[in-house]
Amino acid sequence: MSKKKKHFSLLLTTLLTVSLALSACGGDSKNNAGGEAASGGNKAAESTEKPVELIWYTIGPPQKDMDKVLTEVNKYTLEKINATLDIKMLDFGDYTQKMQVMAASGEPMDILFTSSWAFDYVQNARKGAFLQLDDLLKNQGKGIVDTIDPAFLEGSKVDGHNYAIPANKELPAQEVFRFNKELLDKYKLDLTSVKTMADLEPLLKTIKENEPGVTPYAMVKDFMPIMPFDYVIEKMPMAVYMDTKDYKVINILETPEIKEALKTVRKFYQAGYISPEVATTSSVDDLYKAGKWFTDRASTQPMADNLWSVSYGYPVVSTPASQPYIYNWSVMGSMQAISANSEYPEKAMEFLNLLNTDPVLRNMIDSGIEGVHYEKISDNMIKNLPDAKNYDMPTFSLGNIMINYLNEGDPENKWEEFKKFNDAGINAPLLGFNFDTSKVTNEIAAVQNVKEEFWAPLMTGSVDSEEYLTKANEKLKAAGLDKIIAEAQSQIDAWKAANNK
Amino acid sequence: MGKIGKSAKDVLKNKVLLFMVLPGTLWFLFFSYLPMVGTVIAFKEYRFSRDGFWASIINSKWVGWDNFKFLFSTNDAYLITRNTLLYNIAFIVLGLILSVLLAVVLSEIANKKLAKLYQTGMFLPYFLSWVVVGYFAFSFLSSERGLLNAMFGSNISWYSESKYWPFIIIFVFLWKAVGYNSVVYLAAIMGIDKSLYEAAMIDGASKFQQIRGITLPMLKPIITIMTLLAIGKIFYADFGLFYQVPRDSGTLYSVTNVIDTYVYRGLKTTGEIGMSTAAGLYQSVVGFVLVLTSNYIVRKFDKDSALF
Repeated sequence: MSKKKKHFSLLLTTLLTVSLALSACGGDSKNNAGGEAASGGNKAAESTEKPVELIWYTIGPPQKDMDKVLTEVNKYTLEKINATLDIKMLDFGDYTQKMQVMAASGEPMDILFTSSWAFDYVQNARKGAFLQLDDLLKNQGKGIVDTIDPAFLEGSKVDGHNYAIPANKELPAQEVFRFNKELLDKYKLDLTSVKTMADLEPLLKTIKENEPGVTPYAMVKDFMPIMPFDYVIEKMPMAVYMDTKDYKVINILETPEIKEALKTVRKFYQAGYISPEVATTSSVDDLYKAGKWFTDRASTQPMADNLWSVSYGYPVVSTPASQPYIYNWSVMGSMQAISANSEYPEKAMEFLNLLNTDPVLRNMIDSGIEGVHYEKISDNMIKNLPDAKNYDMPTFSLGNIMINYLNEGDPENKWEEFKKFNDAGINAPLLGFNFDTSKVTNEIAAVQNVKEEFWAPLMTGSVDSEEYLTKANEKLKAAGLDKIIAEAQSQIDAWKAANNK
Repeated sequence: MGKIGKSAKDVLKNKVLLFMVLPGTLWFLFFSYLPMVGTVIAFKEYRFSRDGFWASIINSKWVGWDNFKFLFSTNDAYLITRNTLLYNIAFIVLGLILSVLLAVVLSEIANKKLAKLYQTGMFLPYFLSWVVVGYFAFSFLSSERGLLNAMFGSNISWYSESKYWPFIIIFVFLWKAVGYNSVVYLAAIMGIDKSLYEAAMIDGASKFQQIRGITLPMLKPIITIMTLLAIGKIFYADFGLFYQVPRDSGTLYSVTNVIDTYVYRGLKTTGEIGMSTAAGLYQSVVGFVLVLTSNYIVRKFDKDSALF
């Protein structure tokens, strides 16, 4: 390439870059202007106000009939709050990563799903991804405050402020052992004595000896035995004891409780009750589909046995494995936030308010169009039509579930049971405390890597726990776990003092 | 003015050629040069701003080299650097030898139809995603239902024995990449002047002598360029290969954890964009320096083979 050509290509490059940068800026300023005009319009008379379109990103597989349902939904919302919706679905596996990129790059959006397990609520609230909602809740969101269990709004505050609207649903998390009832009946096994994991042994033994094709304990790599801890960060080794008085943060891998629990898991693994490949198994859906499992553990909600039985096509029963505790992560299990860059925050809150209080809208977004996706069999009970498979939204993610229609076969008092379940919940010690990781991000990255290396093999009993616990603790220390624990302790102490715990 | 006029004339003269490089230029502009502006994030604590991406960058706090610390702060730093480098060196050396060998063998097959068939067969794995390859490997290595254990009646728990994995990783990589690379060399071989071989045959050179005396020397420039380009990526590891194929098995980390998987695992909970950008910048800068150095060395010995 000659020198001149080089000059020329440089010129071309510069020109292109500049024009690109300009067009990007141009786009921005236009959007801003639109935003101002719209918020200015709010003050004008309602009748002359131009309807706004709210962009809503939420979790779940994209739905075939989304456009059809949206047309109906928009007719309704236009009349009620003078706004229309554009719902964009991102599938469960993609949601966190895609939203991280979209939020970081300033993609236009108004409402978005967030939770403790997908697009982490606390972290992103601190990074500034969401709008602070305290005032909006007071003005446009009164209905929400009146309707949902106050524990949700209280428990989901970050540094004293609300950044998202939690779905009104089950508040505590309770673990149960589930059983494939067909096998239970076949061998006349008794559940009354099953209280802990160790109690399962005689049952598992029977199944192992008599049912060669069945995996006695269906387990995935995320498994953790039930232990009496409340974690500072979920699935990281820093925690306090459930019955703590002094809120001392400990490394759970150094406690006698974990040694005891892992002994049981290891025994099960060696006896062949668990798949030898459990440490790399991320899903056992195939076992559920084929009914080739005997027991496992899951978190429950009222009437969950019915739900599971319907979804698997054979009876499933369960028995409690833990107390119903209200954790930070269970309170933040499903929330809708307003994006920091939303052009119409007031409208977005008006919509969320309607979604959480208006059964017509809530059910339309949840179940689709009457006569197409479902039919009513009584005032508040519906039955799915064949087309329901084209519009099958994850109910829990969309807001207040207690104004939903009942499904065929649900007991009349379903939502009463939910309320009872919520009232029975016991507050976990760290409920309301949110760890600010910004001072220890380097240590967390390093500890995370060590944790990933040892966690699954240890928790699933795939390796000898004595040997690996020692190794893991050495590496965790080297990676800076003590510094994280010290930081967590000082934050917890300050929080404790401020809240008179 | 005269200069611009001359440039314009140059453009006019070469308009066809320039038009042909336009798509490539645009691609580089959009996907390589434009994003480079974003490397500034590596030195910031990135926080969202409601006025969009640029405002977020401008309003975020400068943190100097803090974002780079996590890469070097633990004992794992040595491990991941060693793994990344050694695997890439093995890939470059073995990949080169096998691809050239295959290309030479393919070019010597008399039946051109069969040669095309073999070539396509070896080319195919290149188009599979690592997730699919991961399941292929799993069907061989599963300890319960795997083909290998069934064939040899062994009872090896492949996904928890780290000693086998350096070989498995290298084998899987070569299986996937060699077919594609050999096509590049095959194309170069096809471009060699046939009269050279005819002359050699008249002089009584054997096939082996022809390969050593003609084919390999003629391939030298392209071999050098391909190798230099590969060296530029020596600090990058194929995430899919090191994450999907070992099924993210913790017990294998000592031989499968590389820079890319380390960064992913470390940051997936906190999602700090600044830190992942820092990791990317570090990899690019080291790669860049290595390319410059190796190109400099090549130029010392053989000016024509160097990249620039």
